[in-house]
Amino acid sequence: MKKKSLLFLFMSVLLLMVACSEADQGSGDDVEQDDSASNGETTIRVAWWGNQERHDMTLEAIELFESINPDIKVQPEYTGWDGYWERLNTQAAGNNLPDVIAMDNSYLNEYNSNDLLVDLAPLINDGSINLADVDDVYQEINHDGDRVLAVASGANALALVYNVEMLEEYGVNLGPGYTYEDLYQINLKIKQAKEEAGEEYLGYDFANAEYELFNNYARQNGMSFYNAEGNGLGFEESTLVEYFEWVQSMVVDGAAPSHDIMMSYIEGGNSMVQEGTSAMQTAASNQIIGIAQGTEYELDLAILPSLDGQHANFIRPSMSFSITQHSQHQEAAAKFIDFMTNNLEANEILQAERGVPISAAVREHLSDKVPESVQKTFDFLELVADYTTEADPIAPPGETEVRGAFSRIIESLKYDQITPEEAASQFIQQAEAVLN
Amino acid sequence: MTKRKNVTASLTLESARTKHDNWSGFLSISPWLIGFILLILGPMIASLYLSFTDYNLLSSPNWVGLENYRNLFSDARFLKSLEVTFKFVFISVPLKLIFALALAMLFNTGRKGSSFFSAVYYIPSIIGGSVAIAVVWKQLFGRQGAITQILSALNITDTNLIGNPNTALFVLILLVIWQFGSPMIIFLAGLRQVPAELYEAASVDGASKIRQFFSITLPMLTPVIFFNLVMQTISGFMTFTQSYLITGGGPLDETLFYAVYLYETAFEYLRMGYASAMAWVLLIVIAAITFLFFLTSKYWVFYQSEGGR
Repeated sequence: MKKKSLLFLFMSVLLLMVACSEADQGSGDDVEQDDSASNGETTIRVAWWGNQERHDMTLEAIELFESINPDIKVQPEYTGWDGYWERLNTQAAGNNLPDVIAMDNSYLNEYNSNDLLVDLAPLINDGSINLADVDDVYQEINHDGDRVLAVASGANALALVYNVEMLEEYGVNLGPGYTYEDLYQINLKIKQAKEEAGEEYLGYDFANAEYELFNNYARQNGMSFYNAEGNGLGFEESTLVEYFEWVQSMVVDGAAPSHDIMMSYIEGGNSMVQEGTSAMQTAASNQIIGIAQGTEYELDLAILPSLDGQHANFIRPSMSFSITQHSQHQEAAAKFIDFMTNNLEANEILQAERGVPISAAVREHLSDKVPESVQKTFDFLELVADYTTEADPIAPPGETEVRGAFSRIIESLKYDQITPEEAASQFIQQAEAVLN
Repeated sequence: MTKRKNVTASLTLESARTKHDNWSGFLSISPWLIGFILLILGPMIASLYLSFTDYNLLSSPNWVGLENYRNLFSDARFLKSLEVTFKFVFISVPLKLIFALALAMLFNTGRKGSSFFSAVYYIPSIIGGSVAIAVVWKQLFGRQGAITQILSALNITDTNLIGNPNTALFVLILLVIWQFGSPMIIFLAGLRQVPAELYEAASVDGASKIRQFFSITLPMLTPVIFFNLVMQTISGFMTFTQSYLITGGGPLDETLFYAVYLYETAFEYLRMGYASAMAWVLLIVIAAITFLFFLTSKYWVFYQSEGGR
């Protein structure tokens, strides 16, 4: 009796295990069959981050791609920005990265230095990825010596998004040449006038981009955030102190809102400029498209403030596509990147939402087919081209952590818990500990 | 002679049977056992190894010996996260237990509907750890949230409690206290175990309700209190969701729970080795505190079955 029940137990456990592994095997086979069944069809996985709009447009473009290339199936993997890199990092650890991944400037070096990216130069040279219509300025950042690590899927530049009517009303002009000090005065002036009229005005919205703005500030001083070797910082402490003084005075004197107010807007997914409680904010130029959708106000883009007559803007990929070393189908992956870069119809679907298209032919084709706010980003990049200096080298590995440290110091500064001098020396110490 | 033979035979049979029993025992628990080995023991050993390495997830780990552990204690944010977590645990756990006990007493009176209400009050604990509640909490206490509006209408304060470094932690503590359901249910079961004759005898002797609470209820409940204290302290140290979703560890790191910093280190800064070391330090801290509780328990926990020893 006992023996029998034991045997039964044993058999059932065995059966269960076999069943499990069978199921695994089965699903594995299915995929393989999918691959080979319909005469040599390949499947590539493509990953990107974004919001629902971007997902919808990209999925539509993928459908078009599949109809043009019936032998390639695209398996999309998309999430929001939060969680995108966590997911990719774990896939990288498991040798299971998608074939094509959306790449951000701040992760490029990390992925490159760990040998996860395919050199695209041969694919570009043999024409698989056609960059004939692309000006070098758009691709500068994606190079590592002769190697090409990514193809930009759109370009932008750091900018100010402002409310056109509100600035006119207060007689403010943000044409090239205005200064950091002007931003301070302008916002205090508007605030005073608004408050006298009984309206709420929060001031300049840093939009959590103090780090990026300092990048520009350092460049305006002829320095850079990171040194050329990528093992330390590239600016002087006194420069950082000056910048911190400016940020702190903005917040403490009321020309910009406190940190928690700023964050509550960002986390809530809306902005002060949309709401009319701020006249201007820092933003990547392509962000004007999203901001404009949520407001009745007319918005426009201005280049960043000048410093002693110096401008140091640079045009950068707002995001790029890379092919990973784990890809078994690099040709198909290259085809996909080429399609996203050059296909006119695809770019009509994508609406330049990832930034200004890098192909001149695409830009020309789109110019009368996109909404006004998108057109403004095209115009802005042309304007900004006159005020640029050479792009910085790609940020070193550890940039995420340095940026984290910068944000925390900025937070203490804005809460007025630390002096600019202390903040600068603390930050430099922390950043160097990470980079060395 | 035959007798002796029989004995040996039955002995061998006996040992064979024990062997069989062991196998069937292992087999019956094998689903759990396999899960334990693959999902808990394996990763634990891996993380112990990784804690002695420099590992960024993207390339293979490098052995660095004790460096991660040494660096921890000069890491200001690590110390800050310890401070925040201790503060959180030592404020929230006692308050939660007091609250749970008070409600359990209320529902133990056997009034009409008390079982219905004890079920209702359990609901926050089921959904309380969820993402949805965290988001609701964030909305309620946020800049334009209902609670912020009410407080400012009552002229108590008009700051955004989540954004204020001095109050953010307390918003999270409040959320955790609100999830008093599971200790409450356990208290309720404990209260029902207290023999009614003790109360009868006490009332005959003229003891007041308050006296009865302190002299009968509380001592009889100490094993349950002890259990709840240990469980809640352990889960308190591992709290993650509330801080990660509501405050993201901010403002000014005032709600940087240990688990949040660990997560940030591992998955945002890709310092897996360092994060593994943190995980082991947390394990040691929790084990030490639990051990302390057990050490002190003999002075205050009353086990009826041991005749009060």
